[in-house]
Amino acid sequence: MARRGLALLLLAAAVLAAAAPLREVFGFPTFYLIFMATVFFWVAQSTSWNILSGYSGYFSFGQGAFFGVGAYATAVLMSRHDFDFIATLPVAGLVAVLIALAIGAVAFRLRSLRGEIFALLTLAVPFIIAPFVRVTPALDGGQGLRVPVPRQYVDLVGGFPEFIFLASLAIATLAVAIAYTAQHSRMGWALFAIRDAENVAEGLGVPTFRYKMLAISLNGFIAGLAGAVFAVQVGFLTVEGVFNLTVPLFVIVMSVLGGRSHWLGPALGALVIVSMRDRLAASGFEGWSLVILGLVLATLVLLAPEGLMARLLIRPRAASLVFAAVFLALAAYGGWGAPLDWLAVAMAAAAVVAFLPVSRRRLRQQEARLLADEAIAGPAEVQPVETEPAEVQPVEVQPAANLLAQPAPAPELGQPVIECLDVARSFGGVHALRGVSLTVREGELVGLVGPNGSGKTTLVNLISGAFAPTGGEIRILGRSTRAMPQHRMAHLGVARTYQIPRPFESMSVRDNVAVAIMFGRQPRSLAEARRLAAEHLELVGLSRLAGARPSEINLHERQLLEMARALAGRPRVLLLDEALAGLNPAEIDNATQVVRRIHQSGVTIVLVEHLLRVVNQLATRIVVLDQGLALADGAPQAVMSDPAVIQAYLGKGAHA
Amino acid sequence: MNLQLLLQVAVSGALAGGLFALMAMGLSLTWGMLRVINLAHFVMILLGAYLAYELSTAASIDPLLTLIVTVPVMFGAGAAIQWLFQASRISEFNSLLVSFGILIVVVQLITNYWTADFRQLEANLNPYVRQSLRLGELVLPLHHLLGFGFATGISVGGYLILERTVIGRALRAFAQDPAIAAAFGIDHNRLALLLAGAAGGTAAVAGTLWAIGNPLTPAQGFEWIGVVFAIVIIGGIGNVLGTLVAGALVLALYSVVSLVWSPSVAPLVVFSAIVVTLVLRPQGLFSRRGS
Amino acid sequence: MLEVRALDVFYGDARALWGVELEVGETEIVSIVGPNGAGKSTLVNTLAGLHRDLRGQVLMRGSDITRLASHRVCRHGLAIVPEGRRIFPAMSVRDNLDLGAYRPEARAEHDDTLAWVHELFPRLRDRAGQAAGTLSGGEQQMLAIGRALMARPELLLLDEPSLGLAPVIVDEVFEVLQTVNARGVSILLVEQNVHRALDISQRAYLLAEGRIAMQGTPAELLASDEVRRSVLGVAT
Repeated sequence: MARRGLALLLLAAAVLAAAAPLREVFGFPTFYLIFMATVFFWVAQSTSWNILSGYSGYFSFGQGAFFGVGAYATAVLMSRHDFDFIATLPVAGLVAVLIALAIGAVAFRLRSLRGEIFALLTLAVPFIIAPFVRVTPALDGGQGLRVPVPRQYVDLVGGFPEFIFLASLAIATLAVAIAYTAQHSRMGWALFAIRDAENVAEGLGVPTFRYKMLAISLNGFIAGLAGAVFAVQVGFLTVEGVFNLTVPLFVIVMSVLGGRSHWLGPALGALVIVSMRDRLAASGFEGWSLVILGLVLATLVLLAPEGLMARLLIRPRAASLVFAAVFLALAAYGGWGAPLDWLAVAMAAAAVVAFLPVSRRRLRQQEARLLADEAIAGPAEVQPVETEPAEVQPVEVQPAANLLAQPAPAPELGQPVIECLDVARSFGGVHALRGVSLTVREGELVGLVGPNGSGKTTLVNLISGAFAPTGGEIRILGRSTRAMPQHRMAHLGVARTYQIPRPFESMSVRDNVAVAIMFGRQPRSLAEARRLAAEHLELVGLSRLAGARPSEINLHERQLLEMARALAGRPRVLLLDEALAGLNPAEIDNATQVVRRIHQSGVTIVLVEHLLRVVNQLATRIVVLDQGLALADGAPQAVMSDPAVIQAYLGKGAHA
Repeated sequence: MNLQLLLQVAVSGALAGGLFALMAMGLSLTWGMLRVINLAHFVMILLGAYLAYELSTAASIDPLLTLIVTVPVMFGAGAAIQWLFQASRISEFNSLLVSFGILIVVVQLITNYWTADFRQLEANLNPYVRQSLRLGELVLPLHHLLGFGFATGISVGGYLILERTVIGRALRAFAQDPAIAAAFGIDHNRLALLLAGAAGGTAAVAGTLWAIGNPLTPAQGFEWIGVVFAIVIIGGIGNVLGTLVAGALVLALYSVVSLVWSPSVAPLVVFSAIVVTLVLRPQGLFSRRGS
Repeated sequence: MLEVRALDVFYGDARALWGVELEVGETEIVSIVGPNGAGKSTLVNTLAGLHRDLRGQVLMRGSDITRLASHRVCRHGLAIVPEGRRIFPAMSVRDNLDLGAYRPEARAEHDDTLAWVHELFPRLRDRAGQAAGTLSGGEQQMLAIGRALMARPELLLLDEPSLGLAPVIVDEVFEVLQTVNARGVSILLVEQNVHRALDISQRAYLLAEGRIAMQGTPAELLASDEVRRSVLGVAT
């Protein structure tokens, strides 16, 4: 599939490339080549931006820095050191990659990094590089830099416009090919998982830091190459001309307009925006194009953040009909404008049709389908999801009757899976855990209970590596986890669920599980992961919802999905954090059965739960936490009749 | 290196930092208290500057008098943008994108109207730009003193309002725990419009003071962003006094580095200061909230 | 005074409460006990207007407050002492108290109320200038109660006031609650600490898995196995 797509892409590029020599045959003006070169330049820029910012969700305002250093690398090497143009290309790309890696190494290591902070940090970068380039005589020195025409290549292809056209086309093709490949590889899935829920992704075994660094490097590399071509195209570089906010503005607007979830979205956005700007300039309204761009950005973010690509695919026929009708009508009339004007107006009309209101539900499905790659995900028509009736008949709960009616199988205790040695954790003076020692052995199902605020969730966070203990040590299968990144702990065999389910919203239920398999303890390819995902969905009883989106299933089903996803990485131990919270009695009974099945399939489980009747039913052993300390540890019946435990739960009357 | 010169540069820098702190103040307050990042703040400053230039030139009046008009206008603009944010229940990150769009639109409109050429207040209308105060060997330009004076007045005034008044208390409570603050009767939407309007007012003041001390060009709307956000982050988001100190520090640092090293590395030093702040004290250098 | 009719509460598609019926009379102390996760906090938050995804009806002295925005609910004389105290940590103790008196009806009586709160909790006077976040857990709980009293409520909603506190402090807090009640303030008390809550209540409800499982006098609840069973999940 991926190969066929790439082949099609190259074919399209080859057809476009043929336009250069054919220009004189058909006699269309040089202007068209320059126009297309501009389109290709922005396709490369916005597509490269989208690999980092669209796929991973970290919006960068630093595009001008990558593009600028690439342009200056080529300009300096060609004009001051007589380098061959082609020879400067790798340098331009690599210099930009270095800048990208420097930004990433700083930003992605910040504990407090959020999208806003990343945006502001990258916003500052071009303004730091610009004065440096301006005052350094070896680079610019404040005079600007003249870039020689690479004569031998220009002569080879028959003219300067042809050369620029072909060079831009090459870079744009490379950019789209990389974006396409990234989206159809492990990298794309890792980045989308990061965008949807970064901590969850890391916890499932995705090395998030590595993938973010890879994405920002690709962004830099392609932008640097585009800069190199730009330097030759303009012939004269100034600091103000490259290190500015126009470049990030354009790539952001193009990508937001075209759509960030699809490899082709930014390219589409670039085509629309460049045409619009070109036509406005030709009609003498150049000063208004930025006004329109700003408005488009503000409006789309507020009203249609998914972008044109997803919208067009919902109404492909209507949009193409309107496009054709408007274009043909203008051509037939012939009294106004040039073919490019007709094209621009027709595009605008089609875009308007695409952006007509559409239901949220269809949009979400369309976005997820873009991601899922429709050819693999099956027929385009997604079966309407049968949701449970809202009112499930409450089942009469008889805790006493159920109590230990189905005792868990006598566990054959194996080696220790989790060892907590005097583990403590405080948050700014508040001691959430004050030294808990606890060993969980293979085959156990340990119920971790305690009153509110006793430290249960904190302990789960520590064992899963979400944060590090402030005292003591945690060992997984005998290995110390000190200073270990969370995804490595996942690879050791720890998996967890979250109290409030955090699915990857843009992926189908099946792909939520598949992504966890792809990055789990035994990594698989996407196709194989999708096949295996079915087994896990079967185990928790979600098979019939495999094609649904997380937003379309109810809380109970989302919690089951959490479990399936956690199991997908083939963990040795599964930490279930309040997996039954908010469920009705019938759902609780079902979830209880699922947990039992998982345990019987050989997975060690730590169950944090405040429904004690469920814990009593399932656990082979219960640990009670109270005020950050382990209060009791033992067989369920013994623990729950311990007076200290009863007091921790029921309290003691002032006069009792 | 001449010590006298170094001192002069550091003090001038710190004084000039007052104006940048003033630019940062409204941004910091709306970010810290309302959880929106309003890049359109920079066009409110820019527009304030151009309006001061235009009104002062047209009516031949002292540019400071134009504040009577520009402050209410920018109050309205600030409140209007906040209203848009509230009506669309915008996320913190999307507020950044939407206001970036607004920033681009207005800067371009300003360019279309006033052109990209430099504009400067006429010398006869602008008594502040050529005078300066001598303090021993130190020369303190009047317009820097003016900027620092306004910044000090507004930050201390803002601090007192936040700390001592019913409205200020309500705003702080809301910033810390919106749900509980509402449970005690605080109507957030009205307070938020008020605060965003006040931030717009400070933008007008900053713009006027900028026009007094500098020639105007639309690109400045973008050029301020880096340094102003550095001040916001170093001073502590939502901390008005911290912003003032950070403004003086950042600009003094900038000037000193430019002098003893090179102007080209000064932005790098300022940027490093942001990163160090984010790593060591994400809540800002001057925040009381413990780490 | 407070009447709750057929209250269903949701979090998106998750349901937290099923058909809760509840009343609090003039000058009553009513407690709601039950296991963790039964929906006790949800109930209190819903009554205070902090959560708005619901069906049913909430009446305060006969006026319908079911769908009021939370900043309007407090005008009807309800004040909340939330779970985990949720004082404003960066504000001084005094500012926290003053904020409690934000609603106009309370602002007029600010000075009297403040004197009363200081009388109930002398430590809050001693620490007036201190940042609330630096108080001990017990002091923070007192501050949260003091802040709610500053609003001059007719009905005080308390969510787990004993959570994480040493027994001595809990004694002190519960004594103050009785003093407050003696001044004519009704109290709806949500507690995990069943015995403590029942000790000072006139009536009580058992909330289990989102439903009222039982109601009656403290003696009736204590005599029944139901409470023990639902909290501990075991038969006794």
